[in-house]
Amino acid sequence: MAASAVRGAVALRTSVGRPVAFVRKIPWTAASSELREHFAQFGHVRKCIVPFDKDTGFHRGMGWIQFSSEEELQNALQQENHVIDGVKCLILFFS
Amino acid sequence: MAALLRPARWLLRAGAVPGLPLPLRLLAGGPGRPRVALCLPAACPGPAAGGLLSQARLYAIAAEKKNYLQEEPTSSHRRNASQFDWALMRLDNSVRRTGRIPKTLLQKVFDNTCHSGSPGGNQALLLLRSCGSLLPELKLSERTEFAHRIWDKLQKLGTVYDVSHYNALLKVYLQNEYKFSPTDFLAKMEEANIQPNRVTYQRLIAAYCNVGDIEGASKILGFMKTKDLPVTEAVFSALVTGHARAGDMENAENILTVMKEAGIEPGPDTYLALLNAYAEKGDIDHVKQTLEKVEKSDLYLMDRDLFQIIFSFSKAGYPQYVSEILEKITYERRYIPDAMNLILLLVTEKLEDTALQILLACPISREDGLNDFGSFFLRHCVTMDTPVEKLKHYCKKLKDAQMHTSALQFTLQCALLANKPDLAKALMNALKEEGFPVRTHYFWPLLVGYQKEKNVQGVIEILKGMHEMGVNPDQETYVNYVFPCFDSVKSVRAVLQENGCLPESNVFSQAELKSEAVNGNLDYILSFLESNTLPFSFTSLRGSLILGFRRSMNINLWSKITELLYKDGRYCQEPLGPTEAVGYFLYNLIDSMSDSEVQAKEEHLRQYFHQLKEMNVKIPENIYRGIRNLLDNYHVPELIKDVNILVEREKIDSRKTMQLTISDLESTLEKLKAENQPVGDVLKQLILMLCSEENMQKALELKAKYESDMAVGGYAALINLCCRHDNAEDALNLKQEFDRLDSSAVLDTNKYVGLVKVLGKHGKLQDAINILKEMKEKDVLIKDATVLSFFHILNGAALRGETETVQQLHEAIVTLGLAKPSTTISSPLVTLYLEKDDLPTALEVAIDCHKKYKILPRIHDVLCKLIEKGETDLIQKAMDFVSQEQGEMTMLYDLFFAFLQTGNYKEAKKIIETPGIRARPTRLQWFCDRCISSNQVETLEKLVELTQKLFECDRDQLYYNLLKIYKINGDWQRADAVWNKMQEENIIPRGKTLRLLAEILRNSNQEVPFDVPELWDEDEKHSLDSSPLPEESNLQKDLLNACQWKKNKDAYNIFLKAQNRNVVFNGETYNSLIKLLLTKDNFTQAMQVKDFAETHIKGFTLNDAASSLLIITQVRRDYLKEALTTLKTALDLEQIPSRIAVTRLIQACALKGDLESIQAIQKMVNGLEDSIGLSNMVFINNIALAQIKNNNIDVAIENIENMLTSGNQTMEPQYFGLAYLFRKVIEEQLEPAVEKISIMAERLANQFAVYKPVTDLFLQLVDSGKVDDARALLQRCGAIAEQTPIFLVFCIRSSRRRGKVPTAFSEDGTGSAQ
Repeated sequence: MAASAVRGAVALRTSVGRPVAFVRKIPWTAASSELREHFAQFGHVRKCIVPFDKDTGFHRGMGWIQFSSEEELQNALQQENHVIDGVKCLILFFS
Repeated sequence: MAALLRPARWLLRAGAVPGLPLPLRLLAGGPGRPRVALCLPAACPGPAAGGLLSQARLYAIAAEKKNYLQEEPTSSHRRNASQFDWALMRLDNSVRRTGRIPKTLLQKVFDNTCHSGSPGGNQALLLLRSCGSLLPELKLSERTEFAHRIWDKLQKLGTVYDVSHYNALLKVYLQNEYKFSPTDFLAKMEEANIQPNRVTYQRLIAAYCNVGDIEGASKILGFMKTKDLPVTEAVFSALVTGHARAGDMENAENILTVMKEAGIEPGPDTYLALLNAYAEKGDIDHVKQTLEKVEKSDLYLMDRDLFQIIFSFSKAGYPQYVSEILEKITYERRYIPDAMNLILLLVTEKLEDTALQILLACPISREDGLNDFGSFFLRHCVTMDTPVEKLKHYCKKLKDAQMHTSALQFTLQCALLANKPDLAKALMNALKEEGFPVRTHYFWPLLVGYQKEKNVQGVIEILKGMHEMGVNPDQETYVNYVFPCFDSVKSVRAVLQENGCLPESNVFSQAELKSEAVNGNLDYILSFLESNTLPFSFTSLRGSLILGFRRSMNINLWSKITELLYKDGRYCQEPLGPTEAVGYFLYNLIDSMSDSEVQAKEEHLRQYFHQLKEMNVKIPENIYRGIRNLLDNYHVPELIKDVNILVEREKIDSRKTMQLTISDLESTLEKLKAENQPVGDVLKQLILMLCSEENMQKALELKAKYESDMAVGGYAALINLCCRHDNAEDALNLKQEFDRLDSSAVLDTNKYVGLVKVLGKHGKLQDAINILKEMKEKDVLIKDATVLSFFHILNGAALRGETETVQQLHEAIVTLGLAKPSTTISSPLVTLYLEKDDLPTALEVAIDCHKKYKILPRIHDVLCKLIEKGETDLIQKAMDFVSQEQGEMTMLYDLFFAFLQTGNYKEAKKIIETPGIRARPTRLQWFCDRCISSNQVETLEKLVELTQKLFECDRDQLYYNLLKIYKINGDWQRADAVWNKMQEENIIPRGKTLRLLAEILRNSNQEVPFDVPELWDEDEKHSLDSSPLPEESNLQKDLLNACQWKKNKDAYNIFLKAQNRNVVFNGETYNSLIKLLLTKDNFTQAMQVKDFAETHIKGFTLNDAASSLLIITQVRRDYLKEALTTLKTALDLEQIPSRIAVTRLIQACALKGDLESIQAIQKMVNGLEDSIGLSNMVFINNIALAQIKNNNIDVAIENIENMLTSGNQTMEPQYFGLAYLFRKVIEEQLEPAVEKISIMAERLANQFAVYKPVTDLFLQLVDSGKVDDARALLQRCGAIAEQTPIFLVFCIRSSRRRGKVPTAFSEDGTGSAQ
């Protein structure tokens, strides 16, 4: 949890000014390809990161999506519910 | 039976007798009493059989204890109390939410309690009480074991047990149906010298009754009788159970009648005991009858009680009756925790079917279909190894009932977490059958399980399983989860091939490559790339390569690989072309490294770039610019010039013109030199140009060639150039040459800093420290940026792990006073160990800093790391220290921020909700600033969210910070949401908040939904108040600048301005200002500053220099008394006043004839003469002068003669200079004295052959124009003419004096030939 927060901060440093969404509460059954698949409906996903904990083999329920443009990001943000594998995910912030 | 009850009845009848304990009288009061009255404090043993317990009661008691403890004033108890609060809070929360305590939580609280030193009695009680029915997930025997473990461990740690602990243990035994001997238990208590009380007896009775031992129970009852102890409902309830378990239902039922006869109306507990007894017999009819009877009475059974009847039925093997009881459940508010507790208990008892039945009966809202219920049940089923077929069935049931949307997925997750491969595989197949995809990463937790035990066979099995299920392992699977299980990657390929699970695609090769890269095995990568025939694009390799480069420091391999990629067509077929591909690669490489990493690897990167240059690798200019910006941001501008050499230069014109100019200058220089003309200017220009060209080699050659023509400026530029090029050797040599040229010349601050940096980096610590000393001696202006540079020097060394450098330079900087100890400047001391992951030492160093400087550098980072690593011991230690040194509140804030930072929001929430915690604006602002500067939006949002209820919290300020971060990110939607939230919270925003919000909205072309307040002065003032720091430091900087440039008026005005704004600077600043004002003779102003400083800074004192200047000024103004006081103060502070100051004061006293003061000064400076540089002659001359002034000429002369003629001379005659005395006497026209002195001098010469006085007199006569007197003296005493050395000194001095040299030196009365 803590380590990923740090990694997240590092990811953020480089993502300032880029259209990035931070997704939380991702179900354990979904990994980056599922996330990418879901968000592809809003635009071109340039990067999708769902960090896994190598000590457990599970991810920590959060990930980052980088779109190609601000507009695509806005598309994604405008949708109220993002349901992946039947679970409602939260888009927490973007930068 | 009757015999048994007789004593009780007797006892109870006696209840009417006055003087009996209050509870007894209450009991005797008759029927119809509310239940509460029967519940004696801490005495309710609850239902006799080990079953569910009223949790609320347990914690109510614990809470009472807590309050009692809090009232104790001693602080040593405070920590224990807070530890207790924490533990109570954790456990209580868990019970309130889920009706239970997970084992891990109890273990954690237990461990924490142990680490807290000697756990208090209340903590022990809390832990023990948690080991019963609150642990439904544990088997009964395990719970008791846990209780025993806690009991023994705490006892070892010194916890003193009282009767409450024994009673608590008994309760746990009852709840866990633990078989034990009550007599042994009593014996144990006796051994420990603990008196059993009524509760003890009651519980022992219950223990006998639980096994149906009525005889045993009556023995205890008899004993209670002899002790006159009251018999309560609890005892009767126990007896009901006792008779029932002994098979005597009739007598069990009879107990109720006996109770009534005894005047105790059976309450719910008694009926519950009876109901349980019937349920255990499977007697549904009697259960129903009894329930009806209860319903008719005014008694009321709670859901919790009914749940217990269900449990009794199920456990006794009568699940068929469960549904009948379930119908009676009303599902009152807060029933869920109790239901959960029962369900889990049933699973633990392997009664899963009943558990499911109860679960499905729970009236859960199923509308939105997104809130799953029942996960706890599935998880526990997995833990208890419920057969997979049953589990699949349960999942289907839950799904059908719309209680859980993803029951199978969840169960699979539990199976994976519990590392049960067979169950997991079966569940995956079930999922597949349902049409849900089975994904690669589902297998990772299983692989992790085998990887931890290095079980190769297990891993192979999983890979085979994946294959069977049609899932292909990807690169990540191999690299992260398969390879680590093997000793080497090479062996993996062989083993997989052997087992037939080597995939045909190149996924495996890529995985191998990545894995070797991660291990920094660049040899492998190079040979792979050389021999590889598969198509690989540069981009697909980039990630692995960067990882590999960062993990290997073999620069030769870095270069070789880069060259291969640059030159080999296989890898650079992209449209980019090699220049750009490699350029991007370099950019990405540096970008992927943190600033500290780049700083630490600076040298390696430099080598790398130079090798690439030699290999003729080029990068485009635009990418170079990107890299340059990165390096600038990382604080390693020194590397820029090394990247610059790689730039592909199409237009070399600009360089050409430059070279032309250089050669022009060179030839001009040659010409001038040949013509023997001054070359200084041209030489300097050329050197500066070479420096800007970064051509160090040539610049140094030039310097060597024209060494004799070099001036200070050229040296300064060269020194700086060498520092930039990391050439410590030459930089140091140049600095020495520079000093030889002009030892008083001062470099500018940046160049000094550059020297310190380069010398420190090359281990020339002593030289670096010498530079620091010089900075201090030459009073180099220390700006904020300088302090920051010091920090970067120390930090760089810390990141490189250079312990000595960091420690010694830090020590020098701080002790010299170049920078005050601060959390910033001292943080590298801690960084050293944080980088090495040596957390214990890091903490140790931080604590040490606090001891030395009262600061705690990087405590936040230390804590974060400790939390990440779960180092509870060290966290405890850190917290104890902070609590003790800075208070509990600071500790809580530290912990709060650390939890926030590490994303442990729940824990953070608990901390900030600690009762009694209040807002600390500066701490909160500090964390806000931190979040903003590192753009941690989520963390900041959490901070704002969690502090909503914080006492005295400035909500507006926090939201203002939130807006700031949203502004940076251009997020107007969230900013707008803040506006709404503030209304919701009823916050009145300040003007600045509204203005900021308006600005964000306007920037995004949004309408501003409110009136934007104008900028009022008031607001301005407020913002000043809230952030006085920048203001203060700006003014202080200005003031110091003005001092540096000797602008006394400006400096004084800044002081006045600051005074008006109530800004207080540090003591040194005031000292500088006072010094400046004194040298400019602004005495009054100086005194004003001094007064202000003394009244505003506690313990402010003038420093040595300022004190000396003050003395001089006071003497000049004839404030001798004050000057004497100043001197005394300075000496008391162990300062060393300047020689001039002391001498001036002595002289002034002498001219006043103030002999006493001179002698007082002599006493004061006794022993310091050498440090001040004060000659004894100063006293001899001036004492004599004072005596002469007082008309004691004879005494003065006698003293001097004695000194020169007595056997124990204090001073060699040739150094016995009396010139000052002679001159003053002549100047002041003290004729009789002149005459007598003249006689003395001649006598000394003629009779004692001491010629120094007479020669001095002769010279002074000459000097004051009394040539005739001088000639007469010379005639009388011809030996004067032979005193050549004295003449020589005199001539030199006079010539100097004529040459406008300050007169102080020759005036000081030490006119001796030194």
